[in-house]
Amino acid sequence: MIRLLAVVERDLRRFIRNPIVVLSSILMPILYLVILGNSFQGELKNLPLAVVNMDNGPYAARVIRLLQAIESGPRRIRVSEEVDQGRALDGIKEGKYKGALILPPDFSRNIIKRKEGGVGLFLDNTETIAAETIRSAIASAMTSIDVKFIPVREKGEQVIVRNIELYKKVDYDQSLIPGVVIMAIFLGTITTGAFNTVMDKFLGIEESYLLTPLTKRDIVIGLVTSGVIITTVISTLVLFFSALISGIYLWKTLSLYAFLSILLIIILTTLGLLGMMFVILGRANHPRIVGVLAGFLNVIFFFPSGAIYPVESFPRWLRVFSMVNPETYSVHALKAILFKGVSIRGIETDFIFLAIFAFSTLTIATLTYKREL
Amino acid sequence: MMKAIEVTDLVKNFGTITALNGVSFSIEEGEVFGLLGPNGAGKTTLIRILTTLMRPTAGKAHVMGINVEKEKAAVRKLIGVVPQAMTSDLDLTGLENMDIYARFYDMPRKEREGRIEYLLGMVGLKERSNDLVATYSGGMRRRLEIAKGLVHKPSILILDEPTIGLDPQSRHVVWELLKNSLDEDGLTILLTTHYMEEAELLCERIAIIDYGKIVAIDTLEGLKRQLPDKDIVEITVGGINATKVIEEVKTLTFVHSIIYAEGTLRISVDNGAQAIPLLVGRIEDTGGRVISVLLKQQTLEDVFIHYTGRPIREEEAKKVSFLIGAGVPQKWGR
Repeated sequence: MIRLLAVVERDLRRFIRNPIVVLSSILMPILYLVILGNSFQGELKNLPLAVVNMDNGPYAARVIRLLQAIESGPRRIRVSEEVDQGRALDGIKEGKYKGALILPPDFSRNIIKRKEGGVGLFLDNTETIAAETIRSAIASAMTSIDVKFIPVREKGEQVIVRNIELYKKVDYDQSLIPGVVIMAIFLGTITTGAFNTVMDKFLGIEESYLLTPLTKRDIVIGLVTSGVIITTVISTLVLFFSALISGIYLWKTLSLYAFLSILLIIILTTLGLLGMMFVILGRANHPRIVGVLAGFLNVIFFFPSGAIYPVESFPRWLRVFSMVNPETYSVHALKAILFKGVSIRGIETDFIFLAIFAFSTLTIATLTYKREL
Repeated sequence: MMKAIEVTDLVKNFGTITALNGVSFSIEEGEVFGLLGPNGAGKTTLIRILTTLMRPTAGKAHVMGINVEKEKAAVRKLIGVVPQAMTSDLDLTGLENMDIYARFYDMPRKEREGRIEYLLGMVGLKERSNDLVATYSGGMRRRLEIAKGLVHKPSILILDEPTIGLDPQSRHVVWELLKNSLDEDGLTILLTTHYMEEAELLCERIAIIDYGKIVAIDTLEGLKRQLPDKDIVEITVGGINATKVIEEVKTLTFVHSIIYAEGTLRISVDNGAQAIPLLVGRIEDTGGRVISVLLKQQTLEDVFIHYTGRPIREEEAKKVSFLIGAGVPQKWGR
């Protein structure tokens, strides 16, 4: 234990002695928030929408047909029929749907009677772009009723889409917070942990540590421990600051339980990524290799994680990749806790995946780490 | 008595290259042993095997009776190493470097505090122990390396080119330090070096290694004795009968030959340093007046050239990877 703690202390002291690194580890992800927050526009695809048809009238059937037309045409949405509103809403909570359209029992009758034909639209507004896309798809379907099916005397305005936001309003900047936290975790894990072994090798000083009674376990677990400490502190700070600048006061909105859940997600993600870096960089001996990999890995893990664009809009092969991407699960869990108030039970899958990922990468890292020259 | 280091028929191949080709030798406890050889001779490979960092292809190596392949952990506790590279962390203080290194050896706090204070005092870094190593000079960093190597009270201290890259002054400080640390109870020292002067000054026995083989192993005197050429003492004399003096001096058993020219006697002897007082005494007895004495000793350099057929080189061409380029500084290169 003395040995392992010495490895941890060595790394922590060296990190703290580089205030520039500490500062940029916090500032850079927050800058991402500002840049990403303003640089992504565009139309999404395949957003899952639940439709609950409680009306058996002709207009409800037409709306559905029009939505199906959008599904097979521009493909902005993917329509699934649900039998009742409760199941549709549960689906949104679980992440199965991005929105739910409720056609009330009196929908067709109201239109025929020239009353307001109101429908309910529930949107997962934690994903602003996705919500906007669904909203416009439905609006166009409703307008089409006006143009093609509704008799002239029935005005288009008679069909009113009532927005019912499921959760407290989340604006675009805020919806990026989980992604920014993940970015901080990624930066933390690539500049701690295995990076130390790469630098020690590069500087030619690794041998002096291999000469000591330090075991594989001391080295890997020690460096992972210090990496977790550094990364968790940095990502938590990033979470608080990025929330603050986008107008969320976490100390008011987050319960202790929710905060601890977030911490657990951050730690599990960090462990997994640190383990993965050890597996990949365990034998690298030049910091340039780390530089190249850092850029590459950041992009291939970050963008398919659903931090910016919903996973559902990706082509199939990318969706498959995002299913094995640990960052997807972290983003999902963080969004659920931060914006939907979901308890641990709602994000069980995320926890389980992240735990398995961390355990396997750390095991492989310890087994494959080369203690000799 | 148990040998501190015992190496038997050690072979190490890297692909088609043979770095060690059947090396055998042993070092007694408390001995200061020098390993001399040009770059690429196999010195560092030998040290890497002794320090458990590499497995030999064939042969055996024991440190204090323990097999280096089978009981690595036990061997690591017994040896202290002062590597060629400067290995202390620049962004830690001297004291922190020492403390963390001592903890790698599981030393309890009380024990390591006393030991570190003693060692930092010994290497003259006590005053600067709370400064970052980044502020140290090359000589200071080297002294810190030596203190680190000794922190866990090893039975054997291995120094790989301990004064490489140092200016002559710092080099002398390090030598002084090493001589003093030899007083540590029963400490065995294995030293590799390029510098003849260093080996002559510090080592009791020397092995010359070349092309992965030990070509000579003996005390410095022993090695010199095997050389065909002997020490030369040049004595300039005044007011003498040259023939008489030559006759007289020739009767000394250690004198091999004498040449007299322009008032100077050029005398070939076994051991120059020991011969001078006897020679001077004999010349003065025969009425001669000694004006000056010059000793031209056989150096280890001569010994080295004799055994390896080439003067020691500072650097050899290095291999550079086609794929990763020059990238990694191979400070410990074979």
